[in-house]
Amino acid sequence: MSAFDLLMGVLLIASALAAVTLKNAVHAGLALVGNFLALAVVYFALEAQFLGWIQIIVYAGAVMVLFLFVIMLLFDAKADVGMDRLPWMRPVGAALAAVFFLVLAYAFSAVGPNNPLADVKLAGGLPQALGKLLYGDWLYAVLLVAVLLFAATVAAVVLVQPQIRKARVKPQVLERDRELKEVGK
Amino acid sequence: MSYYLLLSALLFAIGLYGVLSRRTAILIFMSIELMLNSANLALVSFARASGDLGGQAMALVVIALAAAEVAVGLGIIVAVYRVRESTSVDDLAEFRG
Amino acid sequence: MLLLLIILLPLLGFAYLGLFGKNLREPLPGIIASALVGVSFLLVLFGLLGGGASWEIKDWLPGIPLSLVLDHLSGYMGLVVTGIGFLIHVYAIGYMHGDEGFSRFFAYLNFFIAMMMTLVLAGSYPVMFIGWEGVGLASFLLIGFWYTEKKNADSARKAFITNRIGDFGFLLGMAILYSTFDTLSIGELREILETSNVLPLSLGLAGFLLFVGAVGKSAQVPLMVWLPDAMAGPTPVSALIHAATMVTAGVYLIARSSFLYVNLQDVSYFIAVIGIITAAYGALSALGQWDIKKIVAYSTISQLGYMFLAVGVGAYWIALFHVMTHAFYKALLFLASGSVIHALGGEQDIRKMGGLKKYLPRTHLHGLAGALSLAGFPLLAGFWSKDAIITATLNYPFGGTGFYIAGLSVAFLTAIYAMRWYALVFLGEYKGSVEPHESPKVMTIPNDILALGAIFAGFLALPEPLWNYVEPFLAPALAHVEVHHMSLGLEWGLITLSAVVALAGLYLGYMAFTRWALPKWYLTFQTWSENAFYVDLVYNTLIINPLKELAAIWGLIDSLLDTGYLALAGVSSWLGEKLAWVQAGYVRVYGALMVLGLVVMLVWGVLR
Repeated sequence: MSAFDLLMGVLLIASALAAVTLKNAVHAGLALVGNFLALAVVYFALEAQFLGWIQIIVYAGAVMVLFLFVIMLLFDAKADVGMDRLPWMRPVGAALAAVFFLVLAYAFSAVGPNNPLADVKLAGGLPQALGKLLYGDWLYAVLLVAVLLFAATVAAVVLVQPQIRKARVKPQVLERDRELKEVGK
Repeated sequence: MSYYLLLSALLFAIGLYGVLSRRTAILIFMSIELMLNSANLALVSFARASGDLGGQAMALVVIALAAAEVAVGLGIIVAVYRVRESTSVDDLAEFRG
Repeated sequence: MLLLLIILLPLLGFAYLGLFGKNLREPLPGIIASALVGVSFLLVLFGLLGGGASWEIKDWLPGIPLSLVLDHLSGYMGLVVTGIGFLIHVYAIGYMHGDEGFSRFFAYLNFFIAMMMTLVLAGSYPVMFIGWEGVGLASFLLIGFWYTEKKNADSARKAFITNRIGDFGFLLGMAILYSTFDTLSIGELREILETSNVLPLSLGLAGFLLFVGAVGKSAQVPLMVWLPDAMAGPTPVSALIHAATMVTAGVYLIARSSFLYVNLQDVSYFIAVIGIITAAYGALSALGQWDIKKIVAYSTISQLGYMFLAVGVGAYWIALFHVMTHAFYKALLFLASGSVIHALGGEQDIRKMGGLKKYLPRTHLHGLAGALSLAGFPLLAGFWSKDAIITATLNYPFGGTGFYIAGLSVAFLTAIYAMRWYALVFLGEYKGSVEPHESPKVMTIPNDILALGAIFAGFLALPEPLWNYVEPFLAPALAHVEVHHMSLGLEWGLITLSAVVALAGLYLGYMAFTRWALPKWYLTFQTWSENAFYVDLVYNTLIINPLKELAAIWGLIDSLLDTGYLALAGVSSWLGEKLAWVQAGYVRVYGALMVLGLVVMLVWGVLR
């Protein structure tokens, strides 16, 4: 565990804690952006360069921006305020999260030692190596993801259409209009 | 490697706490993103440990998925806000009984 | 097929009148019902003339066929049932006029005829049992016909429950027969018993239990308490069911099973003893009754006792002969009583009658014929059949002199109370308040026919050396019994003795109830007799009330159990209320629960 690992660990945990506790939504969103950026740095250190860039571009750059757009758009979303109807959820949630962490930690402690040839095989996680995999064994997955993104686009567009309500006309009026049309013919 | 794995577990737990204790839909969503990212971190760590690029490919797919999910999810939140005039999750208590 | 029609036609009448009778105007339901019974009568007649018939579904129950058989015995009984039934149906058209349950009455009457014919035509015991139960049900429905009065409903219930006790015996008897012989078809059982030399020990028990059934149905001591109460039903019901047909079903059962009883000396002796006790009880109780119908009811109990005396000593055909003559004169007595009641607008107490001879001439003749026949006035039907029974106690294998003396004494009493009935109703001065009017033709013509039967039917079977048509007619269907005929002189001497006894009784009755003042010891006896020797009281105290208390206790336990179960249910509903918050609708709660579940699964998985 080097100094770099320690520093990144502290950054990640701090920004995550900030993201889940800050009352101002914009501040929380910004904290989350920080978290994602730190995560990207970690990816670089873990020989996953392509993934690191993708993390910055897509997650920090697109997803979080989207989040911040919506937070700004919806007046109510600016802050996590109001009477908490379930005050007991906080300690209970903390307890559950703690137990969860302990269980996962216990499970992860059984992981074996590193493969010494790892660095060579990974080839730094560069697009060339990753691309060979993606368009080779993982082609099917890539195609499905494409379909999924398409579906998401369509859904997103449909969801935000304004609702046009047809004006409800009284039946007598409809009847009269029809009669008038008959006479007028 | 176990260090980064522990880290991802911790981040996941923090995200979990956020999902349960936040009241606004958007902030819950952000906590979910946090959880997804922690899973990604675990994947990449395993890839680094074993030299199998499949872990990184998987992480890539997860990122794409998360992006799609955010698009649709935010659309839903906006649509619900239009009808309900509120983003508090506690107000959407219709799954009663 | 013919046999099915005999039963199905009245059954159809029951269904049709029951469902649609309300829409039919009087007297159409009565006419339909009477016509159907009349057709049944003709069918029985044709069947007999055609040499009999039988119909069977094999293996209806395992090893037991559903069979109907029309032989001489069932044909004979069938003619009595449908013939008298037809006359009573016609009478009832007049008697039930104006009653709002007119069509319901005829529906029930037809149902009764259908069930009685099932009983009579049965070729196997379970079919007879169906008819047995059916007539019990019909009796219940008809006794409690005017069910809005509690007394009537109670009487109906009493009849049904007392019958049930007998039915239980019948069932047990059938069970023993089945387990011993593996068949309940009467024909097969008869063959087995007549050809085998060795008889199983259980036969006596079976015979006794079947007799218990007869005790209930035919109102013998100790199950006779329902018959007087059954007078709560309309008079045609009393005439048909409780005089002519249903109560004789017990006699019919034993006659049908004659092949069984002929081998059971002890059981037959027991039957005869019960018979004579019942005869005496009925006669003694009839002497003190003040209700016109109750007198006739106790008389029925007494005459039924005579019939069982006959089957007990082995004289099966004589019992059946008495069934026929009794049907005529007892139905006549009931219907005449009915005419009197109808004439007086519902009055049944004979202390308010008297002198009706001049107001109701036709009915008076009917009543006279019936009473004389019952008393055994020489040459009338009752005389020949009752005398045949009394003589049989000396001729037949299971009889004895004690039976003879007892039988003759009860005949003496019979004559006395018959004359009492006649004298207090028709002679003397009219003590009532209502102006009596004679019955319409539809009621008097059937009575005329019954009167003819009551007078002349006895001539069908006269003692030696005169003709006898009944005995040879019934012989093929009954068991063969060794009869030790006494010498002709002795026989006719005894016949003359009975005639004298009957005349003496009539004279004594006439004098006692119209001329003399009654002595004190007699008045005490009369009170005892009026209350039927307090049998009902004894039963109530010893049996009925303790059972009612027991039932009340069980009811209490039952309601306690109910409370217990409700409390159990209450627990689960309390639990439900307490856990309702889980589904209050908060998404976060659901989320927390999901996480909880996940954590539990993980812990379990990791620890494994």
